[in-house]
Amino acid sequence: MRYTTVWLIVVFTGFTAAAARLMYAQFDAGQYSQKNSGAIAQPAPPAEADGASYSVTAYPLYPPELAPGAGREAVQSYCATCHSTRYITMQPPLPPETWAAEVDKMIKVMGQPIPEDVQPVIIKYLQAHYTPENRKR
Amino acid sequence: MNEHRRLSRRGLLQSLATAAGLAATAGFGAATNLLPQQSQVSGDEKSLPTFTGPAPNPYWNSVGPVVQYPQKFPLVLLTDRPIQLETPRHYFETAFTPNGAFYVRWHLDEIPNAVDLSVWRLSVEGSVERPLKLSMSDLTSKFKPLSVAAVNQCSGNSRSKLQPRVPGGQWGDGAMGNAKWTGASLRELLDSAKIKPDALAVQFQGLDKGKGPEGRGSHEFLKSLDLKDSVLDDSIIAYAMNDEPLPMLNGFPVRLVVPGYFATYWVKSLSFIRVLDKADENFWMKTAYRVPDTPRGNTNPEDVKGGKVRTVPITRMPVRSFIVTPNGEKKLIAQLPVIIRGIAFSGYGSVNKMEVSVDNGKSWASAQLGEGHGPYSFRTWSIAWTPPHPGRYVLAARATDGKGNVQPDEGVWNPGGYLWNRIEREQVVVGRAS
Repeated sequence: MRYTTVWLIVVFTGFTAAAARLMYAQFDAGQYSQKNSGAIAQPAPPAEADGASYSVTAYPLYPPELAPGAGREAVQSYCATCHSTRYITMQPPLPPETWAAEVDKMIKVMGQPIPEDVQPVIIKYLQAHYTPENRKR
Repeated sequence: MNEHRRLSRRGLLQSLATAAGLAATAGFGAATNLLPQQSQVSGDEKSLPTFTGPAPNPYWNSVGPVVQYPQKFPLVLLTDRPIQLETPRHYFETAFTPNGAFYVRWHLDEIPNAVDLSVWRLSVEGSVERPLKLSMSDLTSKFKPLSVAAVNQCSGNSRSKLQPRVPGGQWGDGAMGNAKWTGASLRELLDSAKIKPDALAVQFQGLDKGKGPEGRGSHEFLKSLDLKDSVLDDSIIAYAMNDEPLPMLNGFPVRLVVPGYFATYWVKSLSFIRVLDKADENFWMKTAYRVPDTPRGNTNPEDVKGGKVRTVPITRMPVRSFIVTPNGEKKLIAQLPVIIRGIAFSGYGSVNKMEVSVDNGKSWASAQLGEGHGPYSFRTWSIAWTPPHPGRYVLAARATDGKGNVQPDEGVWNPGGYLWNRIEREQVVVGRAS
């Protein structure tokens, strides 16, 4: 009796799975991604008590995925002081000398104090992942 | 897409029939886990690439994700700090761009989330006899309200089309918008502050601040206009945009409106007007937003490297036009009439001629112009077209402005990626009618 029950369950599950497999072969569903979670809270209706103050909620951040590799942490800590690293990923693939010139501009024109030993690390990282020859993402 | 859906549904019904009798709802959820990984149709492979280049961006908009921001419809993300968002193409079907859809471009990351108008004042200072501190109610009650329909276009709109590509905000064509701006006359305001005779320029600054050191472009965003520039007579300090308060991201509580000029001068959250008795040497005037002093601002990388290129601050917007529909996303049907629609504008006065080609610019026909909303507004245009045969067609649009400037069919190149105004094209596919 017990064996019959087990046997029935096995057959039933097998059939169900096979049927589902057939069904699911026809379409594609249930795909979710946490990659670009950009959820922002809906604003509450304005309160009269705010008087002459006009406000919005905090602005959401959408951090990009920087290419993994040596120098990524240096880029995240020094370049992201003033701006998001989307300023890097937004660019088209740029020649190595353009990346060097951009870093130079950030130091000399914009005044970002990047230690001398870190400058080549940042430049090399950008040149290793964001030129026409090697950009992948 | 729809067709694909329908086919899938039919397939589903067939499998349901096969599986008849096994209507085991309990097994449904569990069986899902037994499925092999079928992620070949994942969002990633159906979505745009994450970047374009080194070739020109082939898309109308830039390729970033669509994101949500306070007081905004979903817009295309360029960068999240400072915030730069692009307006999707379909919002240009009308002459006025909705406030929620209007593109966003800040230069520095510390921008207002809240402004208390009981404290906020617009200050007019520097080389003036009578410095002013104006509240919002001063602006609305002491000065005559003026309204103007004017296009606000980023200097770098369409930068992603330049060859070779240049660094900077990789805008598609959506870094522009048109609104009805209402506010106080800048000229009237300057007159009431009584400019001193030695004054040369007027500088504008908003509430935005950056984390860079003082005195650098990374700390403050400052723009100025020459006091002799007649554009000052057309400029207004706008407290309303399309008859509503400005969205925070578009410069609440007031922004400068400089009709005909690129948006770099339209300082957002304007709070300081400083009359200068010497030329403005700050980064945003002396180094950034400059264009070669050549026809169309055109040059080449060799001349720039050789230090041969003299530059001047960018000012007026050259004539442009855009095809908005059809947008190439779906097939047209042979022999079925469609209407080709779009917008046109110029910083040099009204667009008064609009031509459309359906053979990649070989021949042109005049399009009908929509209602005029003044010299600085978008003007809609339309033309009926019946695609004669199935196949591929390249549509093109060409505007002529009141000064006789015609859109050229050559690109432009300069290191800042400014002033793009080449004739735009749209490729459409026409299918058989039966």
